[in-house]
Amino acid sequence: MPKAIRLYVRYVEKVNRAIGRCAMYLIFAMLGVLLYSSFSKTVFLPAHWTLETAQFLMVAYYLLGGSYSMQLGDHVRMDLLYTSWKPRTRSLVDSITVLFLIFYLCLLLYGGYSSTAYAIQYGEQSYSAWAPYMAPVKVVMTFGVFMMLLQAVATLFKDIAAARGEEL
Amino acid sequence: MSYELIALLMFSSMMLLLLTGQRVFGAIGFVASAAALLMWGDGGSEMAFSAAMKLMKWYPLLTLPLFVYMGYMLSESRIADDLYRMFHVWMGPLNGGLAIGTILLMVAVSAMNGLSVAGMAIGASIALPELLRRGYDKIMVTGVIQAGSSLGILVPPSVVLVLYGMIARQPVSQLWLAGALPGLMMAGMFIAYIVIRCWFQPNLGPSLSKEEREEISWAEKFRLLQAGILPLFIFFSMTGLFLMGVTSLVESAAVGATAATLAALVKRRLTAHVMEETLRKTLGISCMFMWIILAALCFGSVFDGLGAVKAIEGFFIGKLGLSPWEVLILMQLSFILMGMFLDDTAMLVIVAPLYVPLVKLLGFDLVWYGVLYTITCQIAYMTPPFGYNLFLMRAMAPPEVTLSDIYRSIGPFVLVMTLALILVMIFPEIALWLPKTFYGR
Repeated sequence: MPKAIRLYVRYVEKVNRAIGRCAMYLIFAMLGVLLYSSFSKTVFLPAHWTLETAQFLMVAYYLLGGSYSMQLGDHVRMDLLYTSWKPRTRSLVDSITVLFLIFYLCLLLYGGYSSTAYAIQYGEQSYSAWAPYMAPVKVVMTFGVFMMLLQAVATLFKDIAAARGEEL
Repeated sequence: MSYELIALLMFSSMMLLLLTGQRVFGAIGFVASAAALLMWGDGGSEMAFSAAMKLMKWYPLLTLPLFVYMGYMLSESRIADDLYRMFHVWMGPLNGGLAIGTILLMVAVSAMNGLSVAGMAIGASIALPELLRRGYDKIMVTGVIQAGSSLGILVPPSVVLVLYGMIARQPVSQLWLAGALPGLMMAGMFIAYIVIRCWFQPNLGPSLSKEEREEISWAEKFRLLQAGILPLFIFFSMTGLFLMGVTSLVESAAVGATAATLAALVKRRLTAHVMEETLRKTLGISCMFMWIILAALCFGSVFDGLGAVKAIEGFFIGKLGLSPWEVLILMQLSFILMGMFLDDTAMLVIVAPLYVPLVKLLGFDLVWYGVLYTITCQIAYMTPPFGYNLFLMRAMAPPEVTLSDIYRSIGPFVLVMTLALILVMIFPEIALWLPKTFYGR
């Protein structure tokens, strides 16, 4: 494999790992926000910002963590036939079918981009009492999808290398 | 091309792509977004991302990562060890007693967590090695753990009922209460099966030897009962507070997760290693679920756009001219059948929106149907070739348990579960009595 590709795979995986390791701790942020919410409700006035904040944290959690979980191999496959194939065959099939996955991520990214652009241009706000601006969370979401796309392309390169019997 | 044909084409291309072994979310997402693009052009190009916004607004979904976290906290920190020992000591003298104890353990774990992952992890790491060492039949034991852990989604709290509640617009509190009795009934049926089976074939589940029983003093036995406090504490802080209306649904999940962390801390099991494993696995499993739901939501909205619900309604009621009960039975059958081949989370998000309006139209109670639906999910989780529990079991079980053992082990338990499904269908009161008395509906 050319050196450029090897470098690409190495750096993308490194960056995604770092992002994923940070996203991992967002679960504590969700916990904290929701605990504060139940606490404030019983002790003084219910807070009106907690639910939406927790929702924003949740989407950030799984979109930013997606690429790391892909590295860890946590995304299930239907392995009825898959497990009975030789590793070389698996990589060969994967290097073709991952293109479908990349296509989906591209559309996801396109939608994310146009939705974010709209939110920034018109200062879109959520329909709620708190009415937060939607742009920041959409930027984070689109960034997460973009990193997932980079990871999927890195996976494609790794699959091609494995199908050719090379190490990457 | 007619809409029915497009819907059929989408389903079959998804199946085909799934068979290649590509990641499930990719296969579903591709078919959905490509279909949207082909049919609606530029208007369909943003559907994939709108699903992400829709997912964000499904706020009960927040319970999912929290329950996953809680499940891993319980299993990784091994705070259920004492609980297992308690059942072990008290049930050991019976033939097949340890298997019965394992079912009881699973009920306790199910009451603490809303997913089957936790029970599976605890069962496979604590109970399975112990039972094998005691000479229990490995096929029966594997089945016991799979069937027992599947109770996690029926006994409150339950994530599947939360998802169902979002789709069917039914109160989660009533759904959870409705799941309680059928869950306990099913556990009782599992135990009855074990007792009867071990009565005729004692070699499948030998009782603890006399010497071993005498080693454990009565003081020790009573001391072990203290382990039972833990599930009661967690159950109360989570489901109890929620049913009393103190905390909202997502808040109660957060309280439960905190309670599990505190329990691990008090038992001095909260090491850096446990924390790292819990956090990483939580991220991995939550992301896996969320990305599948994301893709399935997109698939669902394309189906919606096609008017697939109307098509199915027309087919069942108009063309076949069936009675409501026949339609219901056909639906459950088709659901189990599809559940064998499709990913179960995706099933939930794709199939439930198609079926729920139909059930309502037929005049059935949607809370009751939620229970039927969950039992069907349980069966689908366990049936090969695509059962999520089967994957987990293979990943977690010791090497001497082979895949064919796992496949063979589930047979009798699937039959017992089907029997439970039929019972709840014939006697809706099993599910509805508790919410009726509690909320006076």
